[in-house]
Amino acid sequence: MTILDIAVPFSNFSDYADALTERLLTQRLFAEARILDKEGYEEWLADFIDEKIQYWMPDMETRRRDDVRGTFCYGEAAYFDDSIKELTIRVKRYNEPSAWADNPATRHVHLISNIEVFNTEIANHYAVCSVFENIRNRNMADQDVIHGRREDIWKLENGVFKLVIRRIFIVQNVLLSKNLNTFL
Amino acid sequence: MCDNNSCGSARPNMKPVYPKADKYPEFAKLVDEEKSQVDRRVFTDEEVYQAELKQIFARAWLFLAHDSQIPNPGDFIRTSMGEDDIIVVRQRDKSVGAFINSCPHRGNRVCHVDSGKKSRGFICNYHGWSFGIDGGLRGTDGGVYDKDETFEKSEIGLPPVAQVQSYKGLIFGAFDPEAPSLEEFLGDFTFYLDIMLDNDQGGTEFIGGAIKSEISCNWKFPAENFVGDILHASWTHQSGAQAILGGGVDLGKRYDELAFQASIYGHGIESNLDKVGNTRTLGYPDLVDYVFDLSEKAKDRLGEVRARAIGAVSSSNVFPNFSFLPGQNTFRVWHPRGPDKIELVVWTIVNKNAPDHIKEQYRKGVMMTFSPGGVFEMDDGENWEYSTKVNEGYMTRQQPLHYALGVGTLDEERDLPGIVHKGSKNEANQRLFYSRWAEFMKYDNWDDLQNSKVTLPQNKKQQWSD
Ligand code: FES
Ligand SMILES: [Fe+2]
Repeated sequence: MTILDIAVPFSNFSDYADALTERLLTQRLFAEARILDKEGYEEWLADFIDEKIQYWMPDMETRRRDDVRGTFCYGEAAYFDDSIKELTIRVKRYNEPSAWADNPATRHVHLISNIEVFNTEIANHYAVCSVFENIRNRNMADQDVIHGRREDIWKLENGVFKLVIRRIFIVQNVLLSKNLNTFL
Repeated sequence: MCDNNSCGSARPNMKPVYPKADKYPEFAKLVDEEKSQVDRRVFTDEEVYQAELKQIFARAWLFLAHDSQIPNPGDFIRTSMGEDDIIVVRQRDKSVGAFINSCPHRGNRVCHVDSGKKSRGFICNYHGWSFGIDGGLRGTDGGVYDKDETFEKSEIGLPPVAQVQSYKGLIFGAFDPEAPSLEEFLGDFTFYLDIMLDNDQGGTEFIGGAIKSEISCNWKFPAENFVGDILHASWTHQSGAQAILGGGVDLGKRYDELAFQASIYGHGIESNLDKVGNTRTLGYPDLVDYVFDLSEKAKDRLGEVRARAIGAVSSSNVFPNFSFLPGQNTFRVWHPRGPDKIELVVWTIVNKNAPDHIKEQYRKGVMMTFSPGGVFEMDDGENWEYSTKVNEGYMTRQQPLHYALGVGTLDEERDLPGIVHKGSKNEANQRLFYSRWAEFMKYDNWDDLQNSKVTLPQNKKQQWSD
């Protein structure tokens, strides 16, 4: 079941999902982005995130091409390596009035593009590749922009797609922001 | 340059240059010890900042790496000392060398990666000069200089950091050839470092990789925060504590009796000695159990007091910019990048002998709390950025800042090394951090620096083996 191993990034998929599935999952990604934009974090957890979620955003190292270690590695430093327990704690903080980095509120946009949807070796599990641009603006002129790619596994159960795996690969080595007060 | 035959008859002098420090008594006065206040120019002024690079970062011992990051010859990591780009590389004889990451030809950066394994050396991309892991020039592309008698290969190399020494796994470097030994620079502060570095046989290691981020703040705000600002925890971090613990930050039942701040040469620690308060905030019950057991076992190595400090609500900064949190096991450096910017590098430390699942929970716990997406760290950056940025206002930066919490709480009775104050909710360590800063501005020599009246503890000569 390698597609459910968080440590193994996607290799080549070629089996595109049918048009309807692609349409439904595309809508799903856009809806998710809209919920995150309005900071609907509890709704996000409840409606989009599977109980078995593995949510991983590694630290992207700058290494030589011939370095066998590659530029990231599961088990090393990361921004997120969360199960439902950790995601729930993060969401709880957002709900506190004293979460100062979010009060006054941050203004968010999640732009999602380059969506590709593939069938996988597991029934009702779809591999979804996408890219994002995340813009956060606060107070008067604080602006942070992050770009990256995502590798998702979405599972269809009882007519609903839920996220079971997300790998987030940003393009920054030094995070050019003071924090990451969002989900990607 | 010149157009006659004498041109080029003298060879370049390629010996590394280690400039002497200066004296900046005017800048030292920005710290008013008498009134417990600090002038905001220490955070904003470009000239003060340049003086910091010269007086502090070109002289003091600065953290470079943990032994575990570069175990084998040729293993290296890149880091900074102040704004200087540095390669830290394990030598064939297992010692560690550190070099300025700039080619002596045109100055190009020689090494562009964060780290590497078993490297044989570094080759400059510009004209192909190559350097060994000892920093020495090995050759040039195409051997064009080989027949040139004036090309004194032996004198050319990556400029070495003058001194590299380590303390229980932590490697430090000093640009100043005159700097006293690392142990002298740390003084009795090693007593407190051992809480993290020596609480278990087998020593410590860093978990692989590092999280780096940029914060638009002066480097001293985070350094003074870690040196002794538990005051902010219950207010700034109320949201994080609520999310993880379901309640506020708990300073322990025996606060009045146990909590303290201690400072030695501007290095400082504050702790409530409540055993597991910091560890608890990582949110994993197994870790709390682990630290309780560790604390029990560590009494033999560290004695009663320090055994209580391993996981306690506490924080620490080694002057100038190397911080850590016992119990939460994050080590970090706040690299200056101008008066109003830092690059923060964060690592997680664990005991080598800790079980794998414990190491994994520390890794995850640091990610949950003290990393850019962490429920505590998120709210710190915001504070430090605005404490810095607001001083763009001309009139604003004329206004003094108040550092007087706990004036008159000196504890001369307490049997602990350093200048000890009662209670961790205190600004004593921050005052002493700025006193040390002022000493680096004021003094151009280590004799004065190491015998200072203000930051040198009177009980220096005592022995602290329990
Ligand atoms: S600058 Fe490095 S070889 Fe010329
Ligand atoms: Fe903090």
